[in-house]
Amino acid sequence: MTTHGLFPRLSKENHRSTSPSSPNYNCIAWAAEDTDRWWQPGIYWPLPSPKDDCGIGALEQVFRSLGYYDCDIGDSELGYEKIALYGNNLFYTHAARQLPSGKWTSKLGKAEDIEHDTAEDVADGVYGQLVGYMKRPQSRKS
Amino acid sequence: MSRSATYPAAAPADLRRRFERLAAEWKERSRFLSNTAQMALLTSYQRIIGMGPVVVPLILEELQREPDHWFWALESITEEDPVPAAAKGQIPLMTDAWLQWGKKHGLLAP
Repeated sequence: MTTHGLFPRLSKENHRSTSPSSPNYNCIAWAAEDTDRWWQPGIYWPLPSPKDDCGIGALEQVFRSLGYYDCDIGDSELGYEKIALYGNNLFYTHAARQLPSGKWTSKLGKAEDIEHDTAEDVADGVYGQLVGYMKRPQSRKS
Repeated sequence: MSRSATYPAAAPADLRRRFERLAAEWKERSRFLSNTAQMALLTSYQRIIGMGPVVVPLILEELQREPDHWFWALESITEEDPVPAAAKGQIPLMTDAWLQWGKKHGLLAP
């Protein structure tokens, strides 16, 4: 994957591509396990939301509506599934989902899905900061 | 560069070349973005919107060739949104709705 320095923490060793590129769904949809839609206020969003509300709060709200709540760490916890949220000063920028293995999966914009070893691996570049983690009991399905 | 200084005098071939250059730049720079609000703020996308109604056929042609997030630009320029509520978020259906709109307005070959 050519990243032009947009992902300063990604290396050949800590991630691997797991799908072809697709503009049909984004990282938010992928974190919510939907590959049919591009999730964004004003396009498709499960909650009523103004089109221009693309802040981290809107992202937290939508995952709360899916049963997630805030948690402090991204370590794997038996019985829970976790997501990591990323943002900059203006926008939410990304969401990643933890896999049962404890590794993470991300859809990189319109590009491919990747599996990465830690949630921090996609932070500090184009996606800004890792803002926090959320979790929900594993049995719950959205 | 002001719109009045460049836009009216641009020949169609020049316009196409400019659009293709800006579109390629935007596609490259927006590749990893997951938020079309961020994509729309990129200079190349803003410049395409700034080209005005004359660029709409070129955007539709590009959308037909390779579906991508041109919907923000199309809505901004045309002040229309032909995408049915049930199709929102489904990029192939949103693409179809805009292509049908283009054909209806004579901007794309039927």
